[in-house]
Amino acid sequence: MPGRSLTRRTAVGVTLVSPLVATACDIDPPSRDNGSADAPPPPPEDSELVTAVVAALVRARSVVEAATLSVPDLTPLLEPVATAHAAHLGVLEGAVADADVPTPAPPRVPADRAGALTAVRRSEQRLLREVRRGCVDAASGDLARVLASMAASTAQHGAALADPAAGQEGS
Amino acid sequence: MTVLDALQATLADEHVALYTYGVLGARTSQATSPVLFETLTSGYRRHRARRDQLQLMVRDAGGDPVAAEVAYDLDGALLRPPQIERAAADLEAASVEVLLALVAQSTASVREWALTEATWSAVWRLQLGQTAETWPGAPELDQA
Repeated sequence: MPGRSLTRRTAVGVTLVSPLVATACDIDPPSRDNGSADAPPPPPEDSELVTAVVAALVRARSVVEAATLSVPDLTPLLEPVATAHAAHLGVLEGAVADADVPTPAPPRVPADRAGALTAVRRSEQRLLREVRRGCVDAASGDLARVLASMAASTAQHGAALADPAAGQEGS
Repeated sequence: MTVLDALQATLADEHVALYTYGVLGARTSQATSPVLFETLTSGYRRHRARRDQLQLMVRDAGGDPVAAEVAYDLDGALLRPPQIERAAADLEAASVEVLLALVAQSTASVREWALTEATWSAVWRLQLGQTAETWPGAPELDQA
């Protein structure tokens, strides 16, 4: 009997996903060749939703930056979170007009390690809620898939920050 | 691909996941690797509930749930705890990919359920020794 392996399970996922990627992906990954993060605009019905997610990402990024400035020891711990935010913004920002990308007021983050981490965790939870909402509401299935991956990433980073051992790292 | 097709593909993948978790659990000593054993047990239970839910969803969509095979081939040596842990982590990564495809093909409650399960599998990978990723389940975006 032909069996299936872990590797073939991955192939199933790729098979399911690839038609979406190969056909009309609304949000394409940035091209390696030109370094551009521009993406085709989302369907009109999704524009507002993408703008809301970008705003949430910009807000979360500002909290991470403020926490790193307040407690430089947190930099190694928060760097992967910042990297994820940058990548997620890189894919979505091209679909939003510059005028629609907000400039949030500098957030207040406690100067102590525990307080700063708590602020980042809460900010990431807020971001996760916004991304999940966008995923569920998206008219485009391809956009929903991108946002679902983004939500999974945000949840992973949130879980990593919630790990008590992580709170002690570098202290 | 219809929603029903995506549900059936996800269900077929869950059959593999359950089989694999069963093998991995059977090859893990509860006495010498209690944490890994507990992690695998929890993963098995989650996937079993996921399979049951998918069977209901397939029926709700008017389909006949795809049945499990008698057995599945497993890749590589799965004898030592690090190998077993890695295999379970890979299994969860594959689950995220398949569930994200279901997210793309579905709407409303089915999409929300697939999103929740994909997120769970992504986070569970941390329990299996992996680190947080930028694009779980969407490797083509990771290449960007």
